[in-house]
Amino acid sequence: MRRMQSIFRRSSHDMPGLNLASMPDLIFTVLFFFMIVTHMRHDDVRVRYEVPAGTEVQKLQQKTAVINVYIGEGKIQMNGQLTDIDHLPGLIEAERKKLSEDNAERLTVSLKADKKTPMGIISDVKEALQRSFALRINYSGTEAREY
Amino acid sequence: MLLIFFLVTSSMDTDKGLLRQLPPPPQEQQPPTDVRKDHVLQVTLDAHDQLAVDGTLITPQQLRDRIAEFVVADRTDHVISIRTDRATTYEAYFRMQNAIVAAYAQLRERYAQERFGKGYGELVEEQRDEVNQYYPQRISESKPSQEKGGVS
Repeated sequence: MRRMQSIFRRSSHDMPGLNLASMPDLIFTVLFFFMIVTHMRHDDVRVRYEVPAGTEVQKLQQKTAVINVYIGEGKIQMNGQLTDIDHLPGLIEAERKKLSEDNAERLTVSLKADKKTPMGIISDVKEALQRSFALRINYSGTEAREY
Repeated sequence: MLLIFFLVTSSMDTDKGLLRQLPPPPQEQQPPTDVRKDHVLQVTLDAHDQLAVDGTLITPQQLRDRIAEFVVADRTDHVISIRTDRATTYEAYFRMQNAIVAAYAQLRERYAQERFGKGYGELVEEQRDEVNQYYPQRISESKPSQEKGGVS
C-alpha cells in the first residue's frame, strides 16, 4: 500500500503536463500568415509612388467599386496593368462592365499619384477619366495631423 | 478568432483620400458661362508650387481661412477658380485641395451645429443634403496653362 502510493505520487510528479508556453507563438504565426496573405492579393504595383499627406482625408467606402490608378515616374498603371493615357478610357470601360449595375454607378477611381508628379500628367489622366464618365475620383493620401 | 483576424487584416489596407467629383466632359459647342468678376476667387499654383490668391502669395492654412471668408460672404454665387501649371507638383495641388475641403468642412460643420445642434458627421442623409445645399461647392478648374474652364 505504502509502496503503491509512493509510485503513484512519483509518477504524478514525473509525468510533465503539455507545455503551453508555445501557444501564443503559434497563434501569432497564424495571425501574421493571414496578414501577409491578404496583402499579397493586392495589385502587383509596378510604379513607385509616395502619396501626399493631408488633414482632411476620409476612408474610402465600397472597395468593390474602386479602380486604382497608380501614377509615378511618368508611368501609369490601372489596377494590375501598366497602361498609357490613350488606353485608359477603354480599360476603365472594360473594368466597369465587370461590375454589377449598382457598383458601376458608384464607381470611384482612386488616384494614387506620387507627390512629385507634375500636374500635366494628372490633368491628362483626369481628362481621360472625364471622357469615360468616371467622375467620382479620390485623391489618395495619408493622414496628417498638421503640416 | 478567424473573424478577428479578418477584421484586423481588412481594416489594415483601407484606402484614404480626398473624394472629389469631376464635372461631365465639356460639350463641343457649349457657350462659356459668364460669371461676375467679383464673385470669383482666383487661386493659382505656378510652376514653382507657389500658391497665390488673386495675385498675392499665401500659405495653404491662410488659403483655408480666405476661402471660408469668401464663401460666407457670397454663399450661393461664389466661384473658386483654380489654375495650375503643367509643372506644378501633385503634392502642392493636393495641399490646395486639402485646404479647400477643410474650408468647406469647417463651414458645413458650423452650420450643422447651428441648424441641427449636431456635428456634420452625425447628421442623417437628408439633413446632410440640406447643409450641402446651404454651402454648395462651386469650383471651376481650368486646364493647366491653357485658358479653358470646366474641369473640377
